[in-house]
Amino acid sequence: MEKKKLYWKICCFAAIILCIITYTPLIIPQGVSKPMLAGIPYSLWTSFIITVLLVVITFIGTRVHPGMQNEEDDL
Amino acid sequence: MIFWVWVFGLIYAGLLVFASLKSYKKGRSSEEFMMAGGNIGLSLGVLTFAAALFSTFTFLGMPDFFRINGIGAWIFLAISDGAMVFVLLWFGYEIRKKVRGMEFRGVSGLISRCYENKLAGYTFFLSAFLFLIPYVGIQIQGIAIFMDAAFPESLPAWGWSLGIVLIMLTYSEIGGLKAIIFSDAIQGVLLLAVIWIIGWVCLDHFGGIGPMFEKVGSVKEELLSTPGPKGLLTPQFLLASLIAILMIPVTQPQFTTRIVVMKSMNTMKLMAVSLGAFAILVIIPTIFIGMYGADLYGEYSSQEFFAMAFLNDQHEAIAALAIIGLIAAGLSTTNAMIFAMGSELRGLLTGTEKVIMKRTKIGIFVFSTIAFIFSIIVFDQLVLLARVSFAGTGIMGPMILLGILSDRKISPAMIYISLSGLAVFLLSLGGVIPSMYFGYRLDLLLFIIHGISAVVSYLSSEKRMVSETKVNE
Repeated sequence: MEKKKLYWKICCFAAIILCIITYTPLIIPQGVSKPMLAGIPYSLWTSFIITVLLVVITFIGTRVHPGMQNEEDDL
Repeated sequence: MIFWVWVFGLIYAGLLVFASLKSYKKGRSSEEFMMAGGNIGLSLGVLTFAAALFSTFTFLGMPDFFRINGIGAWIFLAISDGAMVFVLLWFGYEIRKKVRGMEFRGVSGLISRCYENKLAGYTFFLSAFLFLIPYVGIQIQGIAIFMDAAFPESLPAWGWSLGIVLIMLTYSEIGGLKAIIFSDAIQGVLLLAVIWIIGWVCLDHFGGIGPMFEKVGSVKEELLSTPGPKGLLTPQFLLASLIAILMIPVTQPQFTTRIVVMKSMNTMKLMAVSLGAFAILVIIPTIFIGMYGADLYGEYSSQEFFAMAFLNDQHEAIAALAIIGLIAAGLSTTNAMIFAMGSELRGLLTGTEKVIMKRTKIGIFVFSTIAFIFSIIVFDQLVLLARVSFAGTGIMGPMILLGILSDRKISPAMIYISLSGLAVFLLSLGGVIPSMYFGYRLDLLLFIIHGISAVVSYLSSEKRMVSETKVNE
């Protein structure tokens, strides 16, 4: 249970960090479209990766959320 | 094209009739009518949540947003949706835990109970009414304009709007929330299929993703980076949009209801992950359609772009499918919103169950009529109006989160702060007061102020007695 709590906190932290860096020049440098990846502009391919990571973190979150481990939690 | 519209239209209408008859049950309780019996499985849950979220706004609005503002539109919606599903997972658990063992009668009713103050419920209801009804109106208008472009001189735009509202009312009256959820499922599948077919045709025009961006870059290079040609997608605009979209599961009643009516915690959490994948799948083809528009129809109005990209440039069968897909998208989203407003009203009413249901149905009729009037008189860009709608209801987020998460007796101060914030936001929308202060957007400032106020309010409130908590829950 304690481990799950820790993993859940790590997931929350990772999601927040990903959101924060998205709005920095690291991901959205103003007026810059390079370096491109397979012809895709910089901000688009980096933000695409972040979107996928957020969904992956959500998936991990479903496995480690400390309150959801058994059906007793159901309505 | 008319032949194909009839073919797909009849299939769609047949599915709707089947779904409403399957959902209809004589002598059903108000709980079954308004909350679908609280027994929605994973597939239906994903599709209904996705259909309520991805509407005309995604189908038409996002390609147009990409066309005008470039690739930053992905950050505006996809990143926000990716983060939103994580919030959905966290908030879904908290609200389901909160309503366990009690009858859920909308967020207004729940929040009134949490604050032990009816004003909290009324405040939430007011914000939902003010920001959802115009959004419903403009969705209906979007369909009407599109239909007018597809069949010019057959019906005036208001005639199409009226038809949509009448179908919506009849459908929800017969089948209740369950029928709406079935229609959402049909729409979700249709939306994904149609948007990918059209997106693929648009991508094919360029011959691949790399050549697509190369061509668009040669037309207008600013489309390949933020803030885009119009300078709209600044970090501040995108951040405020993120917060507004993160608050959607908390503050938009059609989504909160769907979280609560999921069969189990397990299906709810799987729904959150599937929704994230669905969001990525739905938004990708809108990039292709938007870039296609930027290349060929960069100087066209939105309506002209829709008519060209979705109808004229497509095979007749695909154009017909786009028309039916759009009707389905608009119908299910507006249905979900209007029905959620009815559900919120129900949570605030008192009296016998029969009287409450009668008044709720009258309320749904009144909301539909007001939305119809809005669809005739209001003109705005779909995505930007949606953004205002998300921000307007998002302002209520801290008040709702505080009420649901707090184990303490909360002071009503947060309600007054939320009401004041709502008034300030409305004044800025009306142009009475500025929308920027010290270089910061007003909506972003309001989110920050309300967030801090909620934390302060929590820390300064007293702990509830155990027996008191049990009575309230």
